[in-house]
Amino acid sequence: MGDVSVPFAAYRSAVRAEWLDYNGHMNDSSYGIVLSEANELLFVELGLSADYRASTGASLYTVESHIRYLAECSLEHTLNATTMVVAAGDKKVHLYTELFRDDDRLAATGEFLYVHVDTALGSSVPMPSEQRARVQEMASSHSGLPPPGHLGLGVGSSRQRSGSV
Amino acid sequence: MGDRVVTPYEGSGHHTWDDAAAIEAPLRLHHTSVSAAWVDYNGHMSESCYLLVFGDNADAFFRFIGIDEDYRAAGHSLYTVETHLHHRREVAEEEPLALSLQLLDHDHKRVHIFHEMRHGESGLLLATAEQMLVHVDIEAGRSADLPPLLAERLDAIQHAHAALPRPDVVGRPMGIERH
Repeated sequence: MGDVSVPFAAYRSAVRAEWLDYNGHMNDSSYGIVLSEANELLFVELGLSADYRASTGASLYTVESHIRYLAECSLEHTLNATTMVVAAGDKKVHLYTELFRDDDRLAATGEFLYVHVDTALGSSVPMPSEQRARVQEMASSHSGLPPPGHLGLGVGSSRQRSGSV
Repeated sequence: MGDRVVTPYEGSGHHTWDDAAAIEAPLRLHHTSVSAAWVDYNGHMSESCYLLVFGDNADAFFRFIGIDEDYRAAGHSLYTVETHLHHRREVAEEEPLALSLQLLDHDHKRVHIFHEMRHGESGLLLATAEQMLVHVDIEAGRSADLPPLLAERLDAIQHAHAALPRPDVVGRPMGIERH
């Protein structure tokens, strides 16, 4: 594994024409696509990617997602993302991903709760021990990062923790 | 899919405001079915398409209260500030979707709404979305007060929706419960 004492930061993509809507800006749903793509790169690192799903029949399902839209993105922008593992249980993974434009403007934040599901059984099951260990290792490393200001807040909340971005 | 995101109500076909009509509680402005383009490798609607469908439901609501191409061309719009989705059940290609929309609250420039996506036949709850929207001056890139006509319509919807129960997930933060 790479250096896990900083947020995971592998994602980089130019804004694609199919993400835009009538006004030439990225559509709401496209932020969801980009954040999911960024999270999928983290799952590759943790051994929980599409390959894992194909070989085991188990997969991480999204239970909740909370996106804040902070800046518009258009074709001239390239996007990158940082992700932290906020918490992890035997069956659950809680992620927080920040999406930045190449002018360093924070474009969106996404908070996600995933549950590990055996697709044949149709029910949640614990992750295998190897994956659990990798997730826990990253979660404990990321626990030293400054907590994001909006983490764990409901819609409409304007409360920010001190020291937040 | 075309070369950009298109909502089903661009141009026409949406419900329009009628001062004389009773206001549904909740509003039911959007029905669709799961398109082949929306399903993933396992034949179920993919995660980002829930956002797309809730976006189409929001668009139907915008047009219902009077925010359409002409309104936006005149310089104002409603922008999404936040969306919080709860995924409840999977849904397969071609299955019918019935959307509802509840106005939770609004002030002079913010609108707080709650969507439910149910199976069009069984009525089973598939997903919910809580959204905060803000009325903006597009050119200035700043929030702006809602014009009187829109404020009156939102007041009327708020009045009609006052008796609806507040969904238990509203305002709830995300987290892993410990037992």
